[in-house]
Formats: sequence, structure tokens, C-alpha cells
Amino acid sequence: MTARDASRVSLVVLAFIVVQQTLMLDIRIGGVHPDIMVLLPMAAGLVGGPGRGATMGFGSGLVADCLLPTPFGLSAFIGTLIGFGVGLATVALDRSSWWLPTMAALVGSVLYEVFYALLGSILGQPQMLHVGVARTALLVAVCNAVLAVPAVRMVGWALPKVSTEGMPTSTAGSLR
Amino acid sequence: MAKLRRSRRPRTTLLILLLASITIITLDARGGFGRITSGVRSVAADTFAPIRSGVNDIIEPMGSFLAGSVHYGAVRQQNQKLQQQIRQLQQQRAQSVQTEQSLQQLSAVLHLPYVGNLQTVPAEVIDYKSSNFAATIDISVGRDDGVQYNMPVVAAGGLVGRVVQANHHTATVRLISDGASLVDVLYGTPGAYAAVTGEGSGKPLSADLIPINTPLTVGELFVTSGLNGAIFPPNIPVARVTSSKTGVSATEESVTLQPLADLTNLRYVSVVLWDPASP
Repeated sequence: MTARDASRVSLVVLAFIVVQQTLMLDIRIGGVHPDIMVLLPMAAGLVGGPGRGATMGFGSGLVADCLLPTPFGLSAFIGTLIGFGVGLATVALDRSSWWLPTMAALVGSVLYEVFYALLGSILGQPQMLHVGVARTALLVAVCNAVLAVPAVRMVGWALPKVSTEGMPTSTAGSLR
Repeated sequence: MAKLRRSRRPRTTLLILLLASITIITLDARGGFGRITSGVRSVAADTFAPIRSGVNDIIEPMGSFLAGSVHYGAVRQQNQKLQQQIRQLQQQRAQSVQTEQSLQQLSAVLHLPYVGNLQTVPAEVIDYKSSNFAATIDISVGRDDGVQYNMPVVAAGGLVGRVVQANHHTATVRLISDGASLVDVLYGTPGAYAAVTGEGSGKPLSADLIPINTPLTVGELFVTSGLNGAIFPPNIPVARVTSSKTGVSATEESVTLQPLADLTNLRYVSVVLWDPASP
């Protein structure tokens, strides 16, 4: 990854965290606010494959953890798994499909929120399971599904344009 | 062989990143690393506060402009002007009502009868919970104002929570409604001990350690106990009983309480500069 690529990725992560911490925190649907940071590892997994999904999940998760009151490292851990998982699950699929980012965001967000709450409760924060996990997961997933396509475009612009693991360059490029 | 190496690389990356995450989580949980993560969070919060404030300043007028455009799009020009005037007047009225409410809250925060001689620092609530999984607020004072970790936060009515993260100019407060919140309290006469716990944002509180068949009346007041070394000073009102029942084969009374401070509409709060070590 060149300095230019790194600065692009940093810019996208910064844009996401700024939007999350300003616009998204003010949007309340049934007491739940959207969580667009979840989109980053999923988009990276879709665009760049499992390795880049995991790396983006770890990096963006650590950034998010700096501004969250939940255990430090939790977002990084779940983000790593989700980024890798989305990359792996979609490796054999046609990535030019219009529905793929939306579907990946929908399923990935639900898994992210549920695992986040479960692991948080295991790590000594039992209240994380008492906040309406199903409602939170559903609302975050729907919001992320709506925003999935622009998120994938942004991440596609930021990630270095090299062939991705497990899939041909031509297919990977279709999402950029 | 080359193909095999390619397919293994993401798994190696995954393994390394997962191990790194687990290490960070473990070190943070064990406390040794806590100072570092707390410091990182403090720096992040201090760095981010002006960005957040700046972006909000830009976005809010744009949002108002767009909302206005959509609202008046189909109306004649003259009506537009008149409606705009009405809207401006309504906004002014709403703002003055809001200002009056803010003034009342601020005034109440500055004259809290139950804090006695304890020193307090008034603060504005600048953000509600940043996570869907925790009931927290961010306030406009921090370490530079004397605010430290674990200090109690109060508002008109009673206890709000305690400081869980003190940054240079801001702080994060865990509300008493958060599931991880626990407050030692006294109730009844002459005063029995109990523990009030949160059940999540917007939900009533519950009380533990109350023996079965304890005669509790609706509206009974629970105040902080101020036990030796307690996080909260004594006699701060916490909540009132809303219901009490004895379950079949229960070992404790099942009690729900309503917080006395309006936790869903906090604009101003006060941080009590309380050091449990030297009450």
C-alpha cells in the first residue's frame, strides 16, 4: 500500500467517523442510532476480499473504540471477524450484482450487532444484552443496507487497485 | 504452491488481527493497560470535540435551509413570505421557550439543595449516548475544570450518574439507568441499605437487597448511602418507588423505581467534586 492509498483509506475512515459522530448520533429511530462504522469492514471485504476486510475491520474498529464507552478493542475484534467473513462469504459470488452490497450490509450488520452485544456481555458488560439487541440490530441493518452502495463505492475508491485474494481483478474492479 | 500461499495469507492476517484485538481487550479489562486506553480515548475525545462542533455548526443551518425549501416549495411567493414570517416568529417563540427551560435547568443545577457544602462544577450536556449499548452522556467540562474519574454527577431532582471518562475539556458520564450502574442507597426509617441498578436507557431502575415483605410505599424515596469509601456522597436523592411486589419463592422484594432526575431531557448537570477518600 502506497502513501497515497493509505491517505485515501484514512480519509474515508475519518469521513465515516465524522458522519457517525455528528449526523448519525442525532438520528434516533426508536431510541437507536445508525452505526455506519459497521459498513467499513463489510465494504472492504466486498471490494478487497477477506484479508482487506479484516484489516479494515481492525483499523476502523480501533478508531471507533476511541470514541465509544464500551470495552476497548471490542469493535476492532468484531470488525475483523465481520470484514473477513463478508469477504470470504462473497468470494464466489458475482460482485457486480446490485443486491450484493445491500444484502451483505443487512446480514453483516445484524451479525455485527448481535456478536457485539454477546461478546460485550461476556466481557463484563451484561447490560449490553438488555438494551433490545434485536431492535438495535434490525434498525442498524436497515440503515446500513440503504447506505451500503455509496459506502462500497467510497471504500472501493480508497483501497489500492490490486488483484484481491481469491477472485480475479476484473470481478473485483466491478465494485469500484 | 503460489496459489496455496495466496489462500493462506488472509487467514494469517485474520489470526494476527484477532490476536491483537484479544490482547488489547484483555489488557484493557485487566486494568494495567487501562491508563493507556483511557489516555487514547481522552486524546481522541479532545481532538474530536472541535471537529464535531464545527461540523454540527455547518450541518444544522444547511438542514434548516433544506427543510425550509421543501416545506415552502409549492406555495405562492407572497404566501411563502408570510409563512416564512410566521415560521420565524414560531421559531423565535420556540427558542425563547427553550431558552427559558434551559435557564430554569441551569438555575436549578446551580442551586441544588442536597449537595450542601460540596463544591460543584456546572456543565452542559453536549451529546447523548455514543453507543447503542450504553446509557451515557458527554458533558462540557473535563479534567481542566477539576473533573476526575468516578465523580458523581447530579441535576435538578437528583443523581444522574458518575464520570467514567474524564478528558481535558469534556467528560463521559454513565447514567444511573445504564445496566452497568450500581448505586448504594438508603430507604425507609431509620434507613436500610439497598443497591439500585440500571436496566437500560429509558427503562425504570430496580432495587436489590431488599428483603421480602418489606413494607414499601409507592413514592418512597431512595437516597445515596454514602457508605465509607462510597463513590457517591450521602443523601443525594436517587429515585422513588413505583412498584413493589414479592414473587413466588423469591428471596428479595422486586422493586422498580423512577429516577428523580429527568435522564431523557438533560441539558445542564453538575459534577460534584467529591473524593471518596477524604469525605
